[in-house]
Amino acid sequence: MSKLRFSKRDTKDFSLKEWMDGTDDPMITGDIEMKPQRVHKDDFQTVMKHMRDYEKVERHLYDSDKNMGVRIFNKLYKVSSVIFTILLIGVMLYVVSYLPPVGNASNPDNNIVAQRYIENGLQETGAVNIVSGMILTYRAFDTFGETNVLFIATCCVMIMLMLDEKTLKEQEEQVQNTKYAPMNDPILRFAARILCPVIFIFGIYIILNGHISPGGGFSGGAILGAGMCLYANAMGFTRTAKWFNENVYKVAKITALCMYGLIGSYFYITGANGIENHIPLGIPGHILSSGIILPINIAVGIEVACTMYAFYALFRRGGL
Amino acid sequence: MGILDYIRYFFAILLISSGLILFIIEIYGVFRFSFVLNRMHAAAIGDTLALSLCLGGLMLITGFSYTTAKFLLVVFFLWISSPAASHLIAKFEVTTNENVTKHLRKEEIGK
Repeated sequence: MSKLRFSKRDTKDFSLKEWMDGTDDPMITGDIEMKPQRVHKDDFQTVMKHMRDYEKVERHLYDSDKNMGVRIFNKLYKVSSVIFTILLIGVMLYVVSYLPPVGNASNPDNNIVAQRYIENGLQETGAVNIVSGMILTYRAFDTFGETNVLFIATCCVMIMLMLDEKTLKEQEEQVQNTKYAPMNDPILRFAARILCPVIFIFGIYIILNGHISPGGGFSGGAILGAGMCLYANAMGFTRTAKWFNENVYKVAKITALCMYGLIGSYFYITGANGIENHIPLGIPGHILSSGIILPINIAVGIEVACTMYAFYALFRRGGL
Repeated sequence: MGILDYIRYFFAILLISSGLILFIIEIYGVFRFSFVLNRMHAAAIGDTLALSLCLGGLMLITGFSYTTAKFLLVVFFLWISSPAASHLIAKFEVTTNENVTKHLRKEEIGK
């Protein structure tokens, strides 16, 4: 189990950091050591004088009694804002008068697409829940985009807020030792001990029954994520990290996204080229039915749950 | 409708109307009290007692079925989660508000 360890000074990261700090320049060979410039510092009196001058200038510039231009500008600003708002309201009312009446049978949204979803949805997708059948088979490409958005959003938040492990550990020790931390509260712990299993089971139930009853991946995943937030609050992040740490997060999230991508792309290719896709639809109303909807629901549920928990944990403490 | 049904509906109406009165008291308290913990107490009354009374009345009307079991689960869930949330808010207020002793007497429990 021995690992070949490189010296830290040989890595590119370290030399980049040195260069950024200004202690060493990789372009200059030899033993020349660069020193950063001394920061120019004013003494207290000069700073106060500058501040007083600045305040004086500001007072004269924005005082409406002394400055004619400011007075005119303020009046113009008020008048033009009122005119602009009235114009905007007028334009919007004008547009509204051209909209078709609500509930009219000849409206453009009442077209053949919606009719087909309602009439042939059960037969073609095998899902009793028409909404789930619609968003995960007819419009699976849109839903794939939404899932990707969740993935990219968590990646961006991680880039900005993630802390390194040493800082995280110190922070966690500080939090654990305080009397007022929510995880040291016996009432919350008791409530979470009873509620967490119920919430998890309810979330999994909603995800698995997405094609039969109302719900699906997004709502079930949100419930799972909320349950995980409650667990992390009540039991502490160190205990949560035993079963949901950064590695589990990475594996779960990427596996779910790849699963959705693979199933979805197989489905799009066969559908676009008119090839039969050999996915059995099963009997409508059973758990194992309706083709690709159940696995995609599971993938979306994992994705949403991970996103919810990751957002909470990153904004709360800067690490999973 | 037999006499039993009349009795059932009478008790259901009694439960629901008492729940609604408690809701009115809750809303009045939430808007009239000036201190946070008083307001929280009023809100907690509505979350636990008033809601469970209303749901109990509805359970009596529907009779025993699958829906009643769901109502019971909702009451169970709210009776655990709402007091815990109220407790946390109260704790947060007491620990962070500097002028909290103006409104209440603070006693150290435990240590």
